Amino acid sequence: MDLDLSVIAGEITRTDYLHLYYYLRLTRTLETRITALYRQGRIVGGCYTSHGMEAVSVGYALPLESRDVIAPYHRDMGAFLIRGITPGEVIAQYLGKRTGPTKGKDGNVHIGDLKRGVIGFVSHLADNLPVATGAALAFQIRGEPRVVVTNTGDGGTSRGDFHEAMNLAAVRKLPVVFFCNNNQFAYSTPVCAQMAVPNVADRAKAYGMPAEILDGNDVAAVYVAARRAIQTARAGGGPTFLECKTMRMHGHSEHDPAKYVPQALLEEWKIKDPILKAEAMLKALGYADEGHFQTIGERANKEIEAGVEWAEQSPLPEGPETLEGVFATEDEVAS
Amino acid sequence: MTTAVHPTLSHEVTYLEAISQAIDEEMTRDERVFLLGEDIGAYGGAFKITEGLLEKYGHHRVIDTPLAESGIVGAAIGAAMMGLRPVVEMQFADFISCAFDQITEVAAKNHYRWNAPVPMVIRAPFGGGVHGGPFHSECPEGWFFHSPGLKLVAPSTPYDAKGLLKAAIRDPNPVIYFEHKFLYRRIKAVLPAEDYIVPIGKAEVKRAGSTISVVTYGAMVHIALDAAARLEKDDIDLEVIDLRTLIPLDTETIFESIRKTGKAIILHEDTKTGGIGAEIAALLAEECFDCLDGPVLRVAAPDTPVPFSTPLEEFFLPKISDVEAAARKLAAY
Amino acid sequence: MHIDIIMPQLGESIAEGTITSWLIVPGGRIEKDQSLLEVETDKVALEIPSPSTGFLTEVLIPAGQTVPVGTLLARLDTEPPGTEVVSRVGGVLVRQMDHSPVDENHYSPAVKQLAREHGIDLSQIKGTGAGGRITKKDVLDYVAQHTAGDKASAPMAEPTASSAVPQGDQILPLTSMRKTIAERMIKSRQTSAHVVTVFEADCSAIAKFRKGRAFTYLPFVIHAVARGLREMPLLNSSWDETGIVLKREINVGIAIALEEGLLVPVVKHADRKRLTQLGQEVADLAERARSKRLQPEEVQGGTFTITNHGGFGSLFSTPIIHQPQIAILGVGAIHKRAVVVQDAIAIRPMTYLSLSFDHRVIDGATADGFMSAVKNYLETSAWEHVL
Repeated sequence: MDLDLSVIAGEITRTDYLHLYYYLRLTRTLETRITALYRQGRIVGGCYTSHGMEAVSVGYALPLESRDVIAPYHRDMGAFLIRGITPGEVIAQYLGKRTGPTKGKDGNVHIGDLKRGVIGFVSHLADNLPVATGAALAFQIRGEPRVVVTNTGDGGTSRGDFHEAMNLAAVRKLPVVFFCNNNQFAYSTPVCAQMAVPNVADRAKAYGMPAEILDGNDVAAVYVAARRAIQTARAGGGPTFLECKTMRMHGHSEHDPAKYVPQALLEEWKIKDPILKAEAMLKALGYADEGHFQTIGERANKEIEAGVEWAEQSPLPEGPETLEGVFATEDEVAS
Repeated sequence: MTTAVHPTLSHEVTYLEAISQAIDEEMTRDERVFLLGEDIGAYGGAFKITEGLLEKYGHHRVIDTPLAESGIVGAAIGAAMMGLRPVVEMQFADFISCAFDQITEVAAKNHYRWNAPVPMVIRAPFGGGVHGGPFHSECPEGWFFHSPGLKLVAPSTPYDAKGLLKAAIRDPNPVIYFEHKFLYRRIKAVLPAEDYIVPIGKAEVKRAGSTISVVTYGAMVHIALDAAARLEKDDIDLEVIDLRTLIPLDTETIFESIRKTGKAIILHEDTKTGGIGAEIAALLAEECFDCLDGPVLRVAAPDTPVPFSTPLEEFFLPKISDVEAAARKLAAY
Repeated sequence: MHIDIIMPQLGESIAEGTITSWLIVPGGRIEKDQSLLEVETDKVALEIPSPSTGFLTEVLIPAGQTVPVGTLLARLDTEPPGTEVVSRVGGVLVRQMDHSPVDENHYSPAVKQLAREHGIDLSQIKGTGAGGRITKKDVLDYVAQHTAGDKASAPMAEPTASSAVPQGDQILPLTSMRKTIAERMIKSRQTSAHVVTVFEADCSAIAKFRKGRAFTYLPFVIHAVARGLREMPLLNSSWDETGIVLKREINVGIAIALEEGLLVPVVKHADRKRLTQLGQEVADLAERARSKRLQPEEVQGGTFTITNHGGFGSLFSTPIIHQPQIAILGVGAIHKRAVVVQDAIAIRPMTYLSLSFDHRVIDGATADGFMSAVKNYLETSAWEHVL
């Protein structure tokens, strides 16, 4: 894809672009660290990353305001970080510590926090889509100019809940933006075995919902499109479906060697890495140079290491805490 | 006090009207309460429980949804987490299975996992005796009984129906409200004019007795009371406990009764194997063993889907004579 | 009606046969003349037809065994298993409630329990239940008859107070609460082997955490005690001749001083509650204790008791165990004292914790282990995590 520099310069400021770049680096560094901890056997359970797909989450989360809400899935680390979940909290969650967002009750990226506008998802992908639609319904009922952005993979769009959510959102013109991280594989199922349409975005037509197809590895492109769709939703213009074409560079989870992915495909997408792309664009626009990238990289490293240390020193929960929290109490519910 | 869509409370109301009043009053009392369901707005609901509410509260608070139980329940979860109080109507409890995943994996587990309360109610018209066949007569409470994080209630009288629905709407947790469709127009009562709730988690002794404790809920409460009337003259004095709430179970009331009588029959319309009666029987064996003066019996529907043809459905549903026979046998033990 | 199935004679010279397989599962239904089992001798293998329609209720000889001709192999029951009681099992055969004469030593749990409580020999009672079973009512009737008889004999004369009251002395009539307390205190001293061990705890961490928060010290003590009891269940038990009963629930009673005496409402499942909830519950129970609005079940079921005697200035005490528990913790007044911390003098708010325990059940080492743990929790818990 040819990049028209003047157009891009018009759409996105240097500050915002560098902001996006910082979050790409932070996400990449954090997930690389988590993968290392996993391979060292210090993380138990599953380990899911968004390696090579960071531009999707970072791109859609940055245009949001703090009053907005995200309903992510398991490859949205960039979005968690932008919403204010700290690297320390993420590692604590992975380590099952009491200081993680779920206090050890749930693992890996099943992170949620209503105060920071993050709806915790369940493993049954696409379940979060009707939930996101319902949150948008609440905003519509109360007349609040708030937006929900939700994300799932290509596989998630095969489930009934995807259909029911898209339909409800379109019929009632709800302020929700549907992202789809089409990374071409759902575990070992390639997208051609997942659906008969060439693009996931083709499905949106069936709901009367406008859709766009984006280069999922171009963080600026994702950012600009997301910003537009969010503004549309906020103004009462209803939902948009945004398909991000990208590639899953690691296995489904870190234990999956993913030998079913053709090596040539990985080679093809390696050179389109979102961080490399962003650096090339930043240089071409004259917004940054290697020195900047170095500094930002070091900053990210420091932040991650501080988080790891904090998380490792945090306590584990105690057995009987298993029994706590099944039910909410009156005082917890906002009036 | 509000002007309800239905007539005010100076005369008898049916079980169905009691439910309508509860919804109407709570919607006036708390602007966060809103309704979702199929055909509930313009049509007023399959059973006309929500009739008039669209006109009164507008299309932002009475939402006619597409046919999508999973999507509707999921949306209710999202809206509840954003601070509203959705009341979802399943047209028939039988259709709740389409939303099983959202209820058990999302609603039930959200607070436990990440401290997000889900204050919502799902109304589920359950039970048979209306020639509804397998998909309009089911009692699905057993599936959800086993899902920690949900509360389940099942009123048997107009008083309890109104009070429990109000309590459910005000509860910060997901509550499934099982309303018995057979009772809709068949029972009436005069209700208090003032606002009241029936607390969740408290059973009620509908009839005190000394010979045998009958633990039951829903339409079967009336079957038990009718059986008690017949048995009275033979000195078999049934104590009928209406659970009213299935989760959390009021074990105090149940145990206190069995300590007194020493003999128990658990009666429910749901099928026998793995029904709630099995759990109560196990609890009695674990916690009241030394009080038992006879085996714990269960009277329930057989392990089949609900049949359609009248003689088949009559065979299926527990009858007064079934309760009588079990009671006579146990009394003589 | 029961029908015996015996090993048939499958030839004049045949003396035994082998069951090769049963063709019906135990409990299964069979039609007359339907093949019931396969039998083999060295001359012949045959299927044996059922003599009647019915249910195969008992199989005495399993497949593979060789037995003499005439051996009883199994029993059929011609009656269907249905009574109204078992018809609701969806077709699965279950045994009917037994109406045959009951084994003499079979008593229901309720009957056994009542017999234990009243010290009755059950062989003395005639049963009116099914098959001559002794019912709970039979036992209760027996008890009623016999205690009526016993009332005829005079109870042991109690030492009476002197009848003449010296002039100037005043008699305060005994309220029922006072009588109850007196009875219970004496009985407790006579039952348990009371020993007291005293520890001191530094309350500065709690004092710091309390700043700006509406907590008394009691919820913290309850929380620490509940944790201690979870770890050392012997402290949460009671004495029985059959053995030391380790209680499953941790229900902590809180002694509340009233004008006319004392009540001990119970915080149920104290180990599952967070500080905030404990604080609310304690405040509520205390308030209702004072305004006499407690429910009976709220003063029952305790497994351990805490008495906050320090409220009136007392430093440490030797409290009396609340039967049938085996320990009680007294919390003394919290006073700032000079103490040695890391070889320097510091001023800390200190309290003495006095544990009275029943030496029948636990020894000093155990009691001290528990107190050490409680002290540690009070001093070092991260209270913000259990708020």
